[in-house]
Amino acid sequence: MNLATMKTKSMVMLAGLIVVVNGFFPAIWILFTSLKTESELLQFPITYIPRDPTMVNYYQAFTEKPLHLFILNSVIVAGASTIITVFVAALAAYALTRLKLPKRNLIMSCLLAVSMFPLISLIVPLFQVMRELGLLNNYLSLILPYTVLSLPVCTLVMASFFQDISPDLEAAAMVDGCTRVQALFKIVMPLAAPGVFTAAILAFVNAWDEFLLALTFLSRESMRTLSVGITLYQGEFAFPWPLISAALIVAIVPVCILIAIFQERVVGGLTAGGVKG
Amino acid sequence: MKQSKELSERTLGWLLLAPVGILLALIVLYPVAKLLISSFHTIRLTEPWLGEPFVGFANYVRAWEDERFWGALWNTILYIVITVPGSLALGLGLAMLANLPFKRKWPVRLALLLPWALPLVFAGLIFRWFFDFKLGFVNDFVSRFGFDPLPWLTDPILAKIAICITIIWKSSSFMALVLLAGLQSIPKSLYEAAEVDGAGKWLQFKEITLPMLMPAIFVALIFRTITAIQTFDIPYAMTGGGPGDSTETLAMYIHKNTLDFLDFGYGSALAAIMFIVSIIATSGYLRYTQRSAGRD
Repeated sequence: MNLATMKTKSMVMLAGLIVVVNGFFPAIWILFTSLKTESELLQFPITYIPRDPTMVNYYQAFTEKPLHLFILNSVIVAGASTIITVFVAALAAYALTRLKLPKRNLIMSCLLAVSMFPLISLIVPLFQVMRELGLLNNYLSLILPYTVLSLPVCTLVMASFFQDISPDLEAAAMVDGCTRVQALFKIVMPLAAPGVFTAAILAFVNAWDEFLLALTFLSRESMRTLSVGITLYQGEFAFPWPLISAALIVAIVPVCILIAIFQERVVGGLTAGGVKG
Repeated sequence: MKQSKELSERTLGWLLLAPVGILLALIVLYPVAKLLISSFHTIRLTEPWLGEPFVGFANYVRAWEDERFWGALWNTILYIVITVPGSLALGLGLAMLANLPFKRKWPVRLALLLPWALPLVFAGLIFRWFFDFKLGFVNDFVSRFGFDPLPWLTDPILAKIAICITIIWKSSSFMALVLLAGLQSIPKSLYEAAEVDGAGKWLQFKEITLPMLMPAIFVALIFRTITAIQTFDIPYAMTGGGPGDSTETLAMYIHKNTLDFLDFGYGSALAAIMFIVSIIATSGYLRYTQRSAGRD
């Protein structure tokens, strides 16, 4: 190996290191903090790596506040809205790619417009609607808006996957007596499984991350989702950083694992929604 | 016979689109109508004996005369003007670095995905702590270089800077992912040809990379702008709008008027203003996509 290639190699390594540090340092910081004792945390000057690692913050994060309920609420809300989004978006994507519809492009444009719609400007009327329907402090008050939030991008992602599947397969199935809808669920959806999966992960992360609507519609502590529950951990006077860090790690790790396993699909889905639009 | 089959296909199409339509009607269209109507009425839950009288443009006039509204609007615009180019610059830098030929691609990809997947409000919480006066690592860094620690979150100007840095960090990774996909779609042969012609790296960047990347940059910018208009989570977690209301955004002021002051009429008028601002941005984007669709 000569000097020039060694130099390029180390430059590439350095570039990778910059990107990795930029992406990971807040998570690492939180991880280290969650292992520190209260007294070490309040030490001055501050320490970086915990001297005396402890798991007590994780225990306290669950006993001080109902963190297990926050997790459950987030799983229910994100899970249900993901399932509904994928189902509804699959029907729409099928109609838009396979059936001869008039004004198809107009419908696509409308979907894109909705994807850029500021849902925040609707918290006032949505709050009124949810109050009228008696859905405040009910999971549905989040599940329905989250479904709408992810619907456009999921429809577009699935439509792009459906387009790559040959219509001959469905035609064959329908000759054998399948109906159109059966063909969608038995032939097209399984073949487009990667697309369905991508859409599902995007919808799940969107719902898992949302804050403002969850803060507004679910005011009861036992109904809070993770993003709201952890943000409102702060006490009257102090900010219990070690507890919050431990809770943050608990909240972040499942999503991290999810995106680490399916990273290629997530990137594909994100950029399909962005670049193709 | 053929005609009836085509008709049923069309009916089926509408049937399959019906759930989307119903959801959009319930969660978007009906609330939009309600929002516009409410904005012309006085609706104060704290004073229910007032009823809900029609007041014309009174709520909008009130906004025009409300200094706190202008402050919040000004802050929102400031965050847009600083963080949109800022995250484009950082995102482009990250995308260029991530596009180098790594042996293992996953650490870099995961490093771009992680900030994207991190909830905005958590990014705000974490950075609030980075900028903590006594225990934050930013001031630790500053004092290691012999400077005095800075009151990041309690000084109106420094607080804005800290919020902008956080927003830029959080949003640049999505930028980088979109731009990276754009970079990877540029044919290698273009660079090889430029190399043969003796073009340097900077010239290659200016003449090949940037023009080829323009569509991706445009899409990323529009999406960033739309989300920047709605900035809420990060200032909420970092400063709560303080000190005073010096870092408050339009979305935070709307939230405060409705949920804290229970003034739905005024909150609706403010939301309608935000809605109009977003429509202007969105229609610009739609016009662009329609034009580029017409080109194909």
